[in-house]
Amino acid sequence: MAVQIDKRASHNQSRQVHPAVAEKLTDPQWAWAAYQPDAQQPWNLTQAGHLFRRAAFGAGWDQLQQALSDGPQRAVDKLLRPQVDLAVFNRAYDGYEASAAGSIDGLRAWWLRRIIQTPHPLLEKMTLFWHSHFATNSLKVKNPRLMLRHVQLLRSQALNSFRDMLQAISRDPAVLICLGADANRKAQPNESFVRPLMEFFTLSPGHYTEKDVREAARAFTGWFALRGRLRYIPREHDGNIKEILGESGNFAGDDVVRIVLEQPATARTIVCKLYRWLICETEEPDAMLIAPLVESFAKDYDILKLAETMLRSNLFFSPAAYRRRIKCPVEFALGIVKALEGVVSTTQLAQDLAGLGQNLYHPPTVKGWTGGRHWINSATLVGRYNLALALLRGSGPYADKLNPWAVAKRHGCSTLKSTMPFLFDLFLQSSHDPDVYETVLKTAQAPAGIGSDDPDGVLRRFAHLVVTLPEFHLA
Amino acid sequence: MSYTRRDFLKATLGASTLLSFTHAAPNFLVRSLMAGEPQSDDRDTVLVVVQLSGGNDGLNTVVPYGDDEYARNRPTLRLPTKDLHKIDSLMGFHPRMGAFMRLYEEGYLSIVQGVGYPNSDRSHEGAMRIWHNANPDQPNRQTGWLGRAVDSVWNPNKTNAPAVFVGPIAQPFALNAENVVVPSIRSPRDLTTGQMPGYPKNKSQPKHAAKLPRADKGNPLLGFLQHCTLNACANSQRIKAATKASTNTTEYPSFQLAATFRTVAQLIRADVGIRIFFTEFGGGGIGGFDNHANQLGNHCALLHQLSESVAAFVHDLKRDKLLDRALLMTFSEFGRTVRENGRRGTGHGAAAPIFLAGGKLKSGLIGAHPSLTDLDNGALKFHIDFRRIYATVLDRWLGFESRTVLGRQFELLDILNV
Repeated sequence: MAVQIDKRASHNQSRQVHPAVAEKLTDPQWAWAAYQPDAQQPWNLTQAGHLFRRAAFGAGWDQLQQALSDGPQRAVDKLLRPQVDLAVFNRAYDGYEASAAGSIDGLRAWWLRRIIQTPHPLLEKMTLFWHSHFATNSLKVKNPRLMLRHVQLLRSQALNSFRDMLQAISRDPAVLICLGADANRKAQPNESFVRPLMEFFTLSPGHYTEKDVREAARAFTGWFALRGRLRYIPREHDGNIKEILGESGNFAGDDVVRIVLEQPATARTIVCKLYRWLICETEEPDAMLIAPLVESFAKDYDILKLAETMLRSNLFFSPAAYRRRIKCPVEFALGIVKALEGVVSTTQLAQDLAGLGQNLYHPPTVKGWTGGRHWINSATLVGRYNLALALLRGSGPYADKLNPWAVAKRHGCSTLKSTMPFLFDLFLQSSHDPDVYETVLKTAQAPAGIGSDDPDGVLRRFAHLVVTLPEFHLA
Repeated sequence: MSYTRRDFLKATLGASTLLSFTHAAPNFLVRSLMAGEPQSDDRDTVLVVVQLSGGNDGLNTVVPYGDDEYARNRPTLRLPTKDLHKIDSLMGFHPRMGAFMRLYEEGYLSIVQGVGYPNSDRSHEGAMRIWHNANPDQPNRQTGWLGRAVDSVWNPNKTNAPAVFVGPIAQPFALNAENVVVPSIRSPRDLTTGQMPGYPKNKSQPKHAAKLPRADKGNPLLGFLQHCTLNACANSQRIKAATKASTNTTEYPSFQLAATFRTVAQLIRADVGIRIFFTEFGGGGIGGFDNHANQLGNHCALLHQLSESVAAFVHDLKRDKLLDRALLMTFSEFGRTVRENGRRGTGHGAAAPIFLAGGKLKSGLIGAHPSLTDLDNGALKFHIDFRRIYATVLDRWLGFESRTVLGRQFELLDILNV
């Protein structure tokens, strides 16, 4: 194995958007065509790392190398449709979660562990996406079993049909309780579900009226969540004509879901949001650019197909997407864990991630985690620094589960000199400026403190310096 | 203000600390270290909220001893007139609140009487929710008033944490924000960078690599993260220096609450841009102030701890000429019933007094004491809506727009000397 920092490549391959590319960025035909490596955008470690940061939670060295030899389209295939028996894995974890469902802390820990161990990381990445989208908060639901079922629902549809997912969400007791829509009487139509349904889950503001909300609430009358169970009480249903988004009829809840899905605004909301999650969050996508995706998604609401188009695309592998997203705390921490091929205590990790602003099962409001630059302030950055330190120090609450030196040796490094560039590539995938590498190298080695000959200690410090670089916070 | 933050930094951190930065660091980093990030309106005022969990018995805190109804309603809980610290011919502080009496006389403490809201909620959870989200008409609102406050002033160029919760319990809902991440800490250490074992101090800081120019100049996020990393390192250094400088010089009583205030004082001193501190006393949820039986002894201890801790905090800030920048405000989810309940305790009530402490207060006793006979379901009626105090604190003290935070403009109170 020859690991080398290729300075020439870093110099030549400036990551600024080339004028010719900039022009193409607004051209939907080019943007969504499948990426074919060429001299300008070759398939290399940088691109492979980018793919695993977005479609997974980072990768180990073997995965990166495998992707390099597979080429981009095959690497994307494997992330979209892994050739493994996923059912066995998920059944096992469903069992662990069911036995931990007495407490939400247990559920948080098992979910993180599932993310670390899963053979299908994209599924978990999308489950996390939908968790933030529907933003059901355990503090309101106060029933871990309902929360467990809610996240299982999200997982079962995360890469399937948005239509089926929305239908199931409209009948999920956890969602109804969280939103205060657990009783919807004929005499007092409850808008607490249909309002966020229209405002955040589907249409977005400006695409419906107050009257639509009121009428849709009437269509949902009769539905209750009583003692954690969904109930339909026919005599509480308002059987009169309702007028919703230009259609009128004796509608029930399912009709509301059908009607909002018929609106192009719904497809646009989801495409825009997924664009931020998978491609780029620095600017809103141009309406023309995403038009083909919106049109296609509106036809079948096939999430896998939408994600597939995005992940295979020229745009995804272009400089316009590169490091154009800030990692959420889960991505930050698991980026370290996945690279170093260990399994750490996820009970502790869930708690530390909550401190950084991402408390799984507890999105702050019905809008989910806003994320982006909001993840970062001087306190959360110090928190990330200290979490990385705790993960890498080899003792303390995370014990000695992550060991950079051991990982490097496993992949053929035998000296400090060869290991440092290896770790740099492992964490940042060559996407660095040479000066930055030199400076990190100097900082890690310079003050010959106690045990500076001890590669284990030096490499832990080196790894810590790398994962606290500004670049590492970008997905 | 004649005494600037920079003067203060020089005084506390000592010239040598700053000089050592100037030698090693390039100019723009030194600038950011010296000046901090620019505040949008140049205000550096700080709000410290103290939540008294459980429902504090206002009647036995600031006692209307001059009203016969007080003694009549409190056969076993009434406090002897001779032991009270008398404010005037009607009111007096609880006997164990001598420290508050002194602060009051020095002009560093105000009492706002009869604070509450219409249709008082008598359940802990419901009432606390109302105080936290500041919107009794919309109890389902998903953000707290201080969460909305920090969201309202967020801008991508300011990367200091605008608010923190200091305490061991779960973060109170008042700080729940839609966008901003508000950290919960127990000590200043939670806001400073730790150290890899066996590694020389401060050498593993990421700042050296963070400040180098990057090739990807078109990426706004990379520049943002570089800036934030440098600012986080600088803030961490300041907090370390401020903690070190103050550890030996300041006297705080050995209460948990006093330790919390010491942390707050250290962070104010570090001047890292935190404008809002939220602290809690009583244990969260149904806390220590919820005395349905045998109230006297427990309540007495709590009030003693509260007044001694606040006084230590005030004097600490005053010594460093920081008191003019700080405003402390207490609140509790409700007061107690006027009549004691037959078990030497009291039930859940309504209006109660709020304390303000700081260097810029206008007057001592604000508003009239509510009547002890004209009651709201056995408890005192309010005559100052708590949101008027919130609005005053937001508009006049923090310089945030209260209308954005509270949904409408409440009439401000003339209680601050600003």
